[in-house]
Amino acid sequence: MLQELHNLLSGRAFWATMFALTFLGGYSFIQAVDLYGQASKSAIEYPELARGMVPFEGILVPTLGAFYLASTLLLPFVAIRAIAQDKESGALKLLLQMPITPGWLVALKVIVMVIGVTALFLPPLSFVPIWLYLGGHVHMPELLNLLAGHALYALDVTSIAFLAAALSESLSTAAILALAFTLAFWVMDFAATASGGFLHRLSFFSLTAALRQFEQGLFNLPAALAMMLGAVGLFALTATWLPTGTAVREKLLVSFLIVLFFSVLAFASSHARVYVDVTENRRNSFNPADEVALRRMQSPLFVWIYLSPEDSRLKEMEANVLGKLRRTVPHLEIRYEDTSGQGLFGSVPDERYGLIIYEYEGKRAESRSNSPREILPLVYELSETKVTPEKEPDYRGYPLVADATGYGVWFYGILPAFILLAWQGTRRPTQKSFQN
Amino acid sequence: MNTSVGKVAESSVKEQFENRAELLRVEGLFKSFSRFNALWDVSFEVGERDILGIIGPNGAGKTTLLECLAGLLSTDGGTVLWKNQPLPVHRRKDVMFYLPEGIIPYREQPTFRLTGLCRDIYGLSRERERNVLLRLGIEHVLNRRVGELSRGYRRRVLLALALLAPQPLLLLDEPFDGLDPRQTVEVAGLLREESAAGRTLLLSIHQLADAARICSRFLLLVDGKIVGCGTMDELRGQAGVGSKDLEEIFFALT
Repeated sequence: MLQELHNLLSGRAFWATMFALTFLGGYSFIQAVDLYGQASKSAIEYPELARGMVPFEGILVPTLGAFYLASTLLLPFVAIRAIAQDKESGALKLLLQMPITPGWLVALKVIVMVIGVTALFLPPLSFVPIWLYLGGHVHMPELLNLLAGHALYALDVTSIAFLAAALSESLSTAAILALAFTLAFWVMDFAATASGGFLHRLSFFSLTAALRQFEQGLFNLPAALAMMLGAVGLFALTATWLPTGTAVREKLLVSFLIVLFFSVLAFASSHARVYVDVTENRRNSFNPADEVALRRMQSPLFVWIYLSPEDSRLKEMEANVLGKLRRTVPHLEIRYEDTSGQGLFGSVPDERYGLIIYEYEGKRAESRSNSPREILPLVYELSETKVTPEKEPDYRGYPLVADATGYGVWFYGILPAFILLAWQGTRRPTQKSFQN
Repeated sequence: MNTSVGKVAESSVKEQFENRAELLRVEGLFKSFSRFNALWDVSFEVGERDILGIIGPNGAGKTTLLECLAGLLSTDGGTVLWKNQPLPVHRRKDVMFYLPEGIIPYREQPTFRLTGLCRDIYGLSRERERNVLLRLGIEHVLNRRVGELSRGYRRRVLLALALLAPQPLLLLDEPFDGLDPRQTVEVAGLLREESAAGRTLLLSIHQLADAARICSRFLLLVDGKIVGCGTMDELRGQAGVGSKDLEEIFFALT
């Protein structure tokens, strides 16, 4: 494992990624503090506005967005190198003959990558003590959950890169293959916002959609398990395709069995309906009394939505109502009706556009609202339930006018200098002599 | 070719060969890449402490044969037996170690990490590692990066890995490539010592003079097919020539 660690640290890709991540993280943080400060100026005087000043949304998520960029665009190169370089240099031919199975070899490389990714995340994470020093507030469960999401995302990107490297003959082909995959999730999400139907449904299973759950302050166990299983499955495929002496027919058969096994596990994990709202303002949850009532609905609740995917009303409804309903109502079926050619700027007017229809035990109700204040009473009316909301602690928000520009010295000067020194340190070989 | 060295080697290995017990048997090995037949019905056997030289022109299939034997390339047919028992691909690394040609593993790492990896993974003592490095004369380049070593030093470092490997059968692809004449003689002596100590060697060599210097038996490979196999005397008989020069025998057989 030490050899693998030395190998990772001796690569320029690792240090270049750390450099870029430190710059990106620092820039994102300074910009986020600036915007947060501007918004806070008026919020300090008005308590209603202050409630909207949430450090998680205003500082943590945008700053750690740097991790997302680095994981998508730079991490594949670091991860690919771990395998592709062994193939290109001939080291793999030696390693495959040593008393270590391909599975263990991949496992060792994964452990080293986990250590590497942790090291990559550390320098930009120095924004947290700076933010606290400036007088900012951090709700630790939100931060830890967000970091877990980014770590899982990085693990998935690593697994994609490993498999691409195992399947490709050269480093450049592997890089193209891995980037094609990671960018495809990006494109899929982008396309899903503009089109409905299959693509919209497919986008729920993209890596970025899974990461978004963590960015919303939600610990979504099915999503976390799916991300974990996806990574382990791809690592298993890497171990299958790494040995050069196995016939392709045999590799295909083993790959089929691995895909089957992990698909079954992923399907089973999708039923683990465990969701934890880690946000301080409980933005992902209904009132506890509402949640109890919704969980008791034993019959299926059908929802037909006549809104196009790019309509902001649907996006609001997804965050404020539909997502929460999915996590509470045991049997919920949401159907996105075809609205192509309609909508706000569509050419064919349809009076049904904007309509949302609810059906429970044969009873129907219609509404054009996307607010939980109107939708929940409608649902309770259909299910003949009476709910008295519980009193919840008041979230007052954390407005803060601060200036982090001066900390640019830390992110753009001091940290990069430390990284440079550390890099040089790894390039200086330890002296070894048999005479000693 | 150094005739006197060749004669001494030939006579000493002849006695060794006559008493050998069969270690490895290859039967009907086939390997093709797309429509190109790289190996065609290759069959031979190797005895204990043999030094078998696989000789042939470029593209004859020497490296392919070694990689197929080591289990690093899949075959299209054929059997490999170890002491008369079938030897499946996943067990090849238990009995043989293959040293490829032209590789530069861990080029950014100092050399001692490469030899240290081999020592640690096989659980060898530092004394054993030291002996091998001293025998190959590479103890003074340990702190240099693998990628910065000259071709000759790099070859000797890789040979050190092979000598550190504990397997009884070593498959070496062009072991003398990149070595100067003095180094070639020294390494040939070293390999003969290994053989005398109980190791069996399969060497892919394109320099016939080098092959004649060290090998006890020869496998002549042309276009993936065996055109001759045996000791120098046996090859002479197969070729129907009176010459003791391997080059002449090789040309007569091909």
